[in-house]
Amino acid sequence: MFHKIKTSKKVATTAVASMMALAPGITAASPLSNDPIRLVIPFGPGGGSDITARVLSATAPEFCGPRIDVVSMPGAAGLEAVNFVRNAEPNGHTLLVTDYGPIVTSGFVDDVDWSHDDWQPVMNFTEWLPTVYTRPDHPIQSIDDWVAAATAEPGSITFGHASPLGLVHLPLILFEMETGLENIHVPTSGGGETRSLIMGGHIDLGMTLPPSIASEVAAGELTALGIFSEERSPVLPDTPTFREAGYDVVLPAWLMIFATSDVPAEAVEHLQDCFMEALASPTAVAMSNRVNAGIEPLNAADSTVLYQNTVANIGGILREIGEID
Amino acid sequence: MLESFIPALMLAFSPEVILYVAIGVFMGVTLGAIPGLSGDMAIAILLPIVFFLEPAAALGLLTGIYKGGMFGGSISAISFGVPGTPGSAATAIDGYQAKLKGYPNKALMTALYSSVIGDSTSDLVLIFLALPLAIVALTFGPVEFFALYAFSLLLISALTKGKVAKGVAMAALGVLLAMIGRDPMGGTLRLTFGIPELAGGLALIPVLVGIFAVSELIIQLSKAWMARASRIMDDTRQKAESLLGDYDASRDKLTFKEFRSTMKATWIGTTMGTLIGALPGAGSSLAAFISYGLAQRFSRNRDEFGKGSLEGVAAAEAGNSATSGSTLIPLFAFGIPGSATAALFGAAFILMGMTPGPRLIYDHTEVIYALFLILIYANLINLILSQFLLPFYSKIAMIQSRILLPIVCVLAILGTFAAGNSVIDVWVLLFAGLLGVVLRMFNFPLAPLILGFIVAPGAERALRQSLLIGRGDWMHLLSSPIAIGLYTVAAIMILTFTLVLRDKK
Repeated sequence: MFHKIKTSKKVATTAVASMMALAPGITAASPLSNDPIRLVIPFGPGGGSDITARVLSATAPEFCGPRIDVVSMPGAAGLEAVNFVRNAEPNGHTLLVTDYGPIVTSGFVDDVDWSHDDWQPVMNFTEWLPTVYTRPDHPIQSIDDWVAAATAEPGSITFGHASPLGLVHLPLILFEMETGLENIHVPTSGGGETRSLIMGGHIDLGMTLPPSIASEVAAGELTALGIFSEERSPVLPDTPTFREAGYDVVLPAWLMIFATSDVPAEAVEHLQDCFMEALASPTAVAMSNRVNAGIEPLNAADSTVLYQNTVANIGGILREIGEID
Repeated sequence: MLESFIPALMLAFSPEVILYVAIGVFMGVTLGAIPGLSGDMAIAILLPIVFFLEPAAALGLLTGIYKGGMFGGSISAISFGVPGTPGSAATAIDGYQAKLKGYPNKALMTALYSSVIGDSTSDLVLIFLALPLAIVALTFGPVEFFALYAFSLLLISALTKGKVAKGVAMAALGVLLAMIGRDPMGGTLRLTFGIPELAGGLALIPVLVGIFAVSELIIQLSKAWMARASRIMDDTRQKAESLLGDYDASRDKLTFKEFRSTMKATWIGTTMGTLIGALPGAGSSLAAFISYGLAQRFSRNRDEFGKGSLEGVAAAEAGNSATSGSTLIPLFAFGIPGSATAALFGAAFILMGMTPGPRLIYDHTEVIYALFLILIYANLINLILSQFLLPFYSKIAMIQSRILLPIVCVLAILGTFAAGNSVIDVWVLLFAGLLGVVLRMFNFPLAPLILGFIVAPGAERALRQSLLIGRGDWMHLLSSPIAIGLYTVAAIMILTFTLVLRDKK
């Protein structure tokens, strides 16, 4: 499909580009060509990553130059998207937007022909804070209740957590490693299923990300027990962190834009600058607030530190539980 | 309540919104009619524009696409035997047979009417019964879901033209194909034979279109080629399905009597579709197959099923369309999207700054009331617009197959690729096509295979979740009265079909 579109679009982009040349300060010495930028996401459309990426695709063309498309490639559990970006021309026009699952975790556990060093972060959108929650009429209503119940009767509490070794499962593993507690891990098809199992009384606890339960927690229809992060979540101000409760378990997730490491530094720098500029614009801020995306961009250098920390962290957990050696 | 109804009325019936609904229906019907493309895909592509539209206009557009797409899928199911969308797989069984017998228009009209009836009823249920039904839906946990999946698999396999063993075998093959990829519980790879691209499993669209459509295309093309090589005209069957000249449009009008004869099937489909649509995770294809199975069970002309029965078309279409209103029930009641479409609507709400959930209707009363009104009148627009479009589409179905088939083939490949941006999907499509040819040659029924493929992931998850929650005790599967009820009915039915109603040879 891309190839078909490309030829017809070329005419259009040249026309747009010639108009753009008249606009001041935009096309000055851009290391990018006029071909569109593709933000490839390894998930289906409609989820948090898609919505966040679309805020950027709607606002950044003005600052970056070319048009920006969001392309969804959920195939092969996300690895198809990763490989697509990996095999694309390293010119900064094909970028990967992902959380740590398809890139950090897959890089360890799956049989892939790239390593974590083959990627360089361009920018980080946001940090996602894994949150444990339950229904309000459940006997467990706090971190202490949970620990007490799991200590009294090990292996009696059912815990729903989406796909195994995912963003809302690894923190549970880490917590059990720290505390020695045992729970029954119940994989679900995702946040929606976890929530209906909890609300229907089929399982005890579950993990998700704050925006998807914030309004229910505020209305008293769900109880958030605790968050695996350093600081409290701005959308769940009354929910304590596990660190506050005395358990030093912190494993936030992130949503980052990656280029392959052979993309020239000036292209990455240009993308970082224009993306951050775009996300600071009033339109982008308004959109981000409206969709509850909580966008707080980090530049390439800070994102790289975060990325490397996560690689070390996840590697440690996976080694500990024997997934890798 | 009433004071916000008037502004909602003005909002829903503003010319701009009506126009967007009509555009949506037109796009939906057309896209749905192309094999592989579905309304869901169009909604996904158009999601970003809800940033820039008024909420009511945006919801009108999405609703139109959704409803149009639901019906559009049946156009290609009936015309080419290619389900345009997963939901219309059951429609293809009888719809395509009806077309081969020379009355595509009757089948299409039946599909349209039952689709609109099912859809409207489901919308009314959403509007008036959302909350009570949602509470029932939540009582469905893993144990109940597994029973429902087992029930539907047995029902469909057992109903296949009296050949119970072949039906069960095909359902099992479908389950096996669905197990390729990552184990949903442990994350380990299964049956991928070292091919990394299979890690995510086989996608539904290529398997569906491959098994049903590509196999048919291969058979038709090879027939045409054989006919040419031997210079012998392939007689009756070829004639009936290809030549425009032989098609008598005046005989192919749905009479009121025929319409009335399909009403029972339509209501069975409507009821099952509405109920199943309200369950999170059970989709329109499951609803269509269960409705089809039940309608056959309760039909006076049971033998006609699978041979072009209009009742079969009506049940399947009413079944899949009746999920369209009720699938939004969990979204409105709990903020849980019960299906892919509901997830896209949920995303649209989020993009418009409205959080799906029980407070949606209190916080945004006007827009939600307007959406309710749109849901209802979009059905009317669908009815009128499709009435107008159908004569053209049913003519397309009667174009000579050597011209039509290559075009459909190309559309199927393009549509499959576009659905997941994946080349592997195209290979899966072609292999599924070859598999379909082999199965057709040995007279295996294809519907149970597709149903097995569709329900297997959910069924496996539900089974293993039940066992996890029940600490590995298999008796836990019988811990719910709903589940016991479903198993009992399934057992009685399979005994009846194998022992009493067996095809006598």
